[in-house]
Amino acid sequence: MKDMEMEQKLRNEAKALLEQGKVDCIIGFEPGSLKFTTTPLITRDKGDIERLVIGPFIVNNLAVFLTELEGRIGIVAKGCDSRSIVSLIQDNKVVREDVVIIGVPCPGLIDVSKIETLLGRDRDELDEIAREGDKVIATVDGKRNEFPVTETLFDNCLGCELPTPQEYDILLGEPTSPVAGKSASQAKIDQLKEATPQQRWEFWEEQFSRCIKCYACRNVCPACFCQRCFVDESEPQWLLPVPRWQENLMFQVIRNIHVAGRCTDCGECERACPVNIPLRSLTREMYDIVDEFFHYKAGTDKEASPFLASYDTTDAEDFIR
Amino acid sequence: MKKVADSKRISKKDIAKLLGEWNRELNVFVPRRDEGVATWAKWDGKDASFLNWYRNTVVPPKAIFLPPMEEMFSFHKDGNGYHLELPASDEPKKLIFSIRPCDAKGLAIVTMPFSDAYEDPYYLVKRNGGVLVGLGCINPCDSCFCTSLDGGPTDLANVDLMLTDIGDNFLMEAITDKGKALIDKTSLVEAVTEADEARAKDVKETTYAKVIRKIATEGIKEKLLSGFDNKDYWEKIAAKCISCGICTFLCPTCYCFDINDELVKKQGCRFRSWDSCAFPIYTKMPMENPRVEKWRRLRQKVCHKYEFYPMNFDVIACTGCGRCIRLCPVNWDITQVLTSLPTETKVKTEKS
Repeated sequence: MKDMEMEQKLRNEAKALLEQGKVDCIIGFEPGSLKFTTTPLITRDKGDIERLVIGPFIVNNLAVFLTELEGRIGIVAKGCDSRSIVSLIQDNKVVREDVVIIGVPCPGLIDVSKIETLLGRDRDELDEIAREGDKVIATVDGKRNEFPVTETLFDNCLGCELPTPQEYDILLGEPTSPVAGKSASQAKIDQLKEATPQQRWEFWEEQFSRCIKCYACRNVCPACFCQRCFVDESEPQWLLPVPRWQENLMFQVIRNIHVAGRCTDCGECERACPVNIPLRSLTREMYDIVDEFFHYKAGTDKEASPFLASYDTTDAEDFIR
Repeated sequence: MKKVADSKRISKKDIAKLLGEWNRELNVFVPRRDEGVATWAKWDGKDASFLNWYRNTVVPPKAIFLPPMEEMFSFHKDGNGYHLELPASDEPKKLIFSIRPCDAKGLAIVTMPFSDAYEDPYYLVKRNGGVLVGLGCINPCDSCFCTSLDGGPTDLANVDLMLTDIGDNFLMEAITDKGKALIDKTSLVEAVTEADEARAKDVKETTYAKVIRKIATEGIKEKLLSGFDNKDYWEKIAAKCISCGICTFLCPTCYCFDINDELVKKQGCRFRSWDSCAFPIYTKMPMENPRVEKWRRLRQKVCHKYEFYPMNFDVIACTGCGRCIRLCPVNWDITQVLTSLPTETKVKTEKS
């Protein structure tokens, strides 16, 4: 199904949900105010529904809004987002019956910053960006440039295992298969793995020296649902709230442990970072560790106990018994 | 009218040489890309290639004068009690090369509260020692809206020396004595021709027309005042905000800071660091943040810039640099918000 058809189906379904009183509120995407952007649309007004869109720029993980809204909610969810919703259900933050999941089979989202780098031009200087199968076409100064998806989709989309929502009430279009981009997706992480511990330490020191502690990484993350984050505690003060690289790194390490088994590799933390810290190199590595050692993939089974809240008497480590 | 005597021109090829001369007495800062992030850094002594890519930085030059984190003093305790020490303040004076007019105006706005009833020594020492060399924009971003805020891509109101791109050369206009001294010191500059002046005028006019994003500022203060209690409006506007600190931290006019002590054994430091009214723990130190819901925090941000600042300092605390639009993870766009402010008063008030 094409984006346009999906969009029409989405609007029809969303409108019906509101009209029939099945939901009080719809969370979706509408066109952003800048080229090649979308913005979350959170509305209780069916007059807004015609603005809903689908496409290669629907970047936000809208599950982040679920815990702050009241009533029954219809929510547009890509594969990773639907897993975040399931994870919130597992953590009793969201009641399954209170959400209507409008699933979007997602062929991967276009990382405009990669195209900016490839073309040496800024987003607003580009004429057009479009996905055509396994290519992304970017037009600048009237000239067409073709790039393979492995160079133009977000790293996390290239490493996505479940692009089609597994948990949904309405599915827009046919299920889609993962993009063959695993090695491109892992490139930055593999490079770090090959480095010595000293080199890695220096790498992260440099990266976290740029951090301004805006907490966008935490605030866009549906898995970061704490009412009060440990960094916001003043009595006791676990971490000095200053943007010093050591504190910045500690914050991120602890955050990464807190979201282990909840992180669905939606990539929002890395995308939101205004100073390009490659946060996914930490979160995806944790995702794979959880998968490898505990055979657990976040948000794939709403009946399962949350990863960090479960144990088994057959666990290998005896400290847990 | 500006006298031609105050203007010179310099070949773009000589910029590195010029910076080298200035760098002997001043600490020259230029835009630099750090892992793709445009920020400000000490000039490396040779490279002027930023002139090829620089439109504006992600981190505003505010960070040079009001750093994300700075030591206010250190302290230690011995048998005679506590002792305080001020940080060393011998850093050479800074020259910010190619600051954009919006960011220069941002500094002027930040200076207002820091030099008001209380004079903030940390900021003012740095700022007063600084020299601003402006570079007019020739390629504004689609998120820029400076022309709606009494500014413009080549506005020279808040710099010491202004550069305008006239092809192979820059036209240099001295605005202050500091700026004139910079021109007087160098032999790299040449006299300006009438053709240069005509070209500069043309560039300025063309660039102004390239700023396409507009807001109408007239009556905004009054609209905000009358719509302050319009909870429904603010709730709707704030719905997609994620309460991160990007739009405030990276705003050239936001100046809020937090103060924290670090104490290890018997010695420590007092730091101040950027704070944001978007955070739920903002102003937590005396008691509680009165703005528990995010719509109240977001309303504060908008009103502070467009209502309270005009009341206190007679200027809107927004320069239209567009960073908050470009960098927002959810594309929360202040220009759309300001355009959609309700005109009727008291639809449904907070109290009703």
